[in-house]
Amino acid sequence: MRAIPTLKISISGVRGVIGESLTPGLLTRFAQAFGTYISSGTVVIGRDPRTSGEMVKQAVIAGILSSGSRVLDIGMCPVPTIQLVVRRRRAYGGIAITASHNPAEWNALKFIGPNGLFLNSGQAREMLDIYHQGEYTKVASAEIRTVEEVAGATDLHIRAILETLGPLPKTPKRLRVVLDACNGAGSLVGPQLLEALGAEVISINVTPNGSFPRPAEPLAENLGDLCAAVKEHGADIGFAQDMDADRLAVVSEQGVPIGEDYTLVLAAIYVLGCELGPVVANLSTTSALEEVAKRFGCPIFLTKIGEVNVTEEMQKQNAVIGGEGNGGVIYPRINFARDSLVGMALILHLLAQKNLSVSELLNDFPHYAMVKEKLVCPSHKLAAVSKMLREAYAGYPRDARDGIKVTLPNGWFLVRGSNTEPVIRVVGEAKTQGEARAIVASVRAKVEACLG
Amino acid sequence: MKPLKIGITGVRGIVGETFTPELAVGFAQAFGTYLDGGRILICRDTRASGPMIRSAVIAGLLSVGCEVVDLGVCPTPSMQLAVKWLEADGAIAITAGHNPWQWNALKFVRGDGLYLNSTQAEELLDIFHQAEFAKATWDTIKQAIKYENPIGEHIKVLQRAFAVEAIRSRRIVVAVDCCNGACSMLSPLWLESLGCAVLAVNNDPTAAFPHAPEPRPETMAQLCAVVKAGHADIGFAHDADGERLGIVTELGVPLSEERTLALAAEIRLQLKSGVVVTNISTTGAIERIAARYAGSVVRTRVGQAYISEGMIEHNGVLGGEGSGGITVPEVHLTHDSAAAIGLLLERLARTREPVSELVEQLPQLTILKHNIAVEPNRLYSVLQDFRTAVEREQLVYDSLDGLKVTLPKGWIHVRASNTESMIRIIAEADDAQDARDLLDWVRDSLSR
Repeated sequence: MRAIPTLKISISGVRGVIGESLTPGLLTRFAQAFGTYISSGTVVIGRDPRTSGEMVKQAVIAGILSSGSRVLDIGMCPVPTIQLVVRRRRAYGGIAITASHNPAEWNALKFIGPNGLFLNSGQAREMLDIYHQGEYTKVASAEIRTVEEVAGATDLHIRAILETLGPLPKTPKRLRVVLDACNGAGSLVGPQLLEALGAEVISINVTPNGSFPRPAEPLAENLGDLCAAVKEHGADIGFAQDMDADRLAVVSEQGVPIGEDYTLVLAAIYVLGCELGPVVANLSTTSALEEVAKRFGCPIFLTKIGEVNVTEEMQKQNAVIGGEGNGGVIYPRINFARDSLVGMALILHLLAQKNLSVSELLNDFPHYAMVKEKLVCPSHKLAAVSKMLREAYAGYPRDARDGIKVTLPNGWFLVRGSNTEPVIRVVGEAKTQGEARAIVASVRAKVEACLG
Repeated sequence: MKPLKIGITGVRGIVGETFTPELAVGFAQAFGTYLDGGRILICRDTRASGPMIRSAVIAGLLSVGCEVVDLGVCPTPSMQLAVKWLEADGAIAITAGHNPWQWNALKFVRGDGLYLNSTQAEELLDIFHQAEFAKATWDTIKQAIKYENPIGEHIKVLQRAFAVEAIRSRRIVVAVDCCNGACSMLSPLWLESLGCAVLAVNNDPTAAFPHAPEPRPETMAQLCAVVKAGHADIGFAHDADGERLGIVTELGVPLSEERTLALAAEIRLQLKSGVVVTNISTTGAIERIAARYAGSVVRTRVGQAYISEGMIEHNGVLGGEGSGGITVPEVHLTHDSAAAIGLLLERLARTREPVSELVEQLPQLTILKHNIAVEPNRLYSVLQDFRTAVEREQLVYDSLDGLKVTLPKGWIHVRASNTESMIRIIAEADDAQDARDLLDWVRDSLSR
């Protein structure tokens, strides 16, 4: 099989490997294309702590300035901070320099529109057309604008959270929290926020020097150190962030990861308890969230996968909470962005308000088990797989907006092609681990037979 | 065609047209690849496009594994000296020197603080064109830029080269026009350290150029007025990056930029005879001055790198060009207007002779300069046609750089500019009318 290219230019931005495909010339051209697309306004830029961050940032600044835009450089910060500053400063857009959960050799540009949302697929296609066409706005020397280095963007973010949610209510004992920031962009912000909320904080992996102490994705298997620290310190909860601090995972007071899906579930319990309203999540979200919405009598809307699809639907439905099953919590009163800082604040408020442990809170809701697998599948076979599944599960409710999702009597599964690799991903959920495995195994067998 | 010059003096063009950030990134990658990584200094003049080009250059350098030290806005010679004390492997100056505001350029400096010579420049261009650059990986890339200010060290080196105490004791009144360029950061401080009463104008590095950054009589009107109003002993005019120097006498009379080197040679050779290195385009007054003091003159092609190489090869006591760039070897082997200031002020302090009287002692020649804009794709064919005409008339010529023709009453020099798409014509004669006739002859020949 041919090698998978390390450069991925798509509607989610441009991503590649430093020293291979992600060259400064390419980055400058992308920044020029973005500056051209937003017709030369102000662009907010920020980055995660990757070693290549400074190089990428300078290439981006050159491209943006050349297109006649002004740069607000907010330095190293979480992606949701960039999104917040874009809205607060009424900028024309933003560029986040981060390859979020990808390993250290990767970096990427993600493009943010004037409302602080990532470019949606239509907008991203418009910008890609400009990039490929290669005719960028180039202003003369006299019209070149400046770079403003803005300090304190993360303070603004913390203030926004405190002003909206307030400090934690008094509890018999101060909540004790362990934070694992993965040496990421949240390293310097998370501990400050938690202390400002009134929690007692123990921090691990908060040295944002470009090294990765663990794989950046906050999956259960990557959280061994955090689980141990929660037990060692007798903490009430453990939080894990990814490199760009948009995703959040939770470890219970027993030192057990509760699963990324349940981050949004906990956040939704708190928000809906304060204020009723629609909930929005993507198709791949746990049914536990639907249970929460149902219990509060609130409607839930499921969208295609991708942050911008969720945020756009949230705006349309006037949702009070939303997010993604991978640990992305979106709370529109603060930010239309997946925001691990907001997620931590919401969940701590829940613990303090109810004065219950994480395990006790979750026991109040039915438990679901989710199983995720991937299979190699050449792209020309995707249609055949889709047709086979439609026929094989003809009698069950189906949703074909993003891959194919089938709702079974005892659970559901979702099969979709990856945008980044020649694989298909299979996600299945049921009440028990055994049932979920059985669903996925049965789908897998059918797909493998179809692929031959 | 739009102007873009990629040549031995670097890469130069108009921002918003040909001089794009990608081009700057590519040249920085090529330069870092050429030097095989290492520590690279960067500096810039005060053009509004400077920060944009700076970021592009930093990105290119970091991506090939270089360590970057940013000296901010400073004269190019300040950076050339810093290459030594910061133990750098090379440097890039982001400045279009005497070109107008809308231009910018990259000039490449090697590990000894001098510009790349023509062979090195060719090697760099080959790497640029081949576009296969070194690539640092995530675990070898440098993560941050360092910052340094080179002005203090530059002034220390200058102070060691000149009779500072003698100058201080005279309390010379000096008017200076920094053209809001990089010399705003250096020149007033240097003059103050020499105990001068400084009348500085256009020394705001955040403002645009008040006039063309080329120190010629037609750009020095404001400086002349300041000299007169302030009863200054002398006036100095800078270009954007601290290489060229223009002079106004105590009477408020601006001197041709050709006089800067002539004055420097007169001062220098009187104290220390030896070789003066200059280009073939520069006034013949230099040979006459050298003859007074039993010195000699070596003529090179046009361009600073050639002067520097000539200074090394011939152990020159002074270098310079008719454009106003002066090289004082006790400071370094490259043009430095602050060094030229030191030389002139030392003389004023020593003899107390007014500048105007010193100027009267110089050979009085008439030198005329004229530029003809030519489409870039026709530059060399126009020159070739002229050469054919010269050969047909069996005239004596030197083709070291362009064509220099020596005639009974004077000489003319015709060449393609290194920096802009134009042909430069220079004619010089003892008699003003003869000089005009020579210039007319060339213009007529070229336009045929």
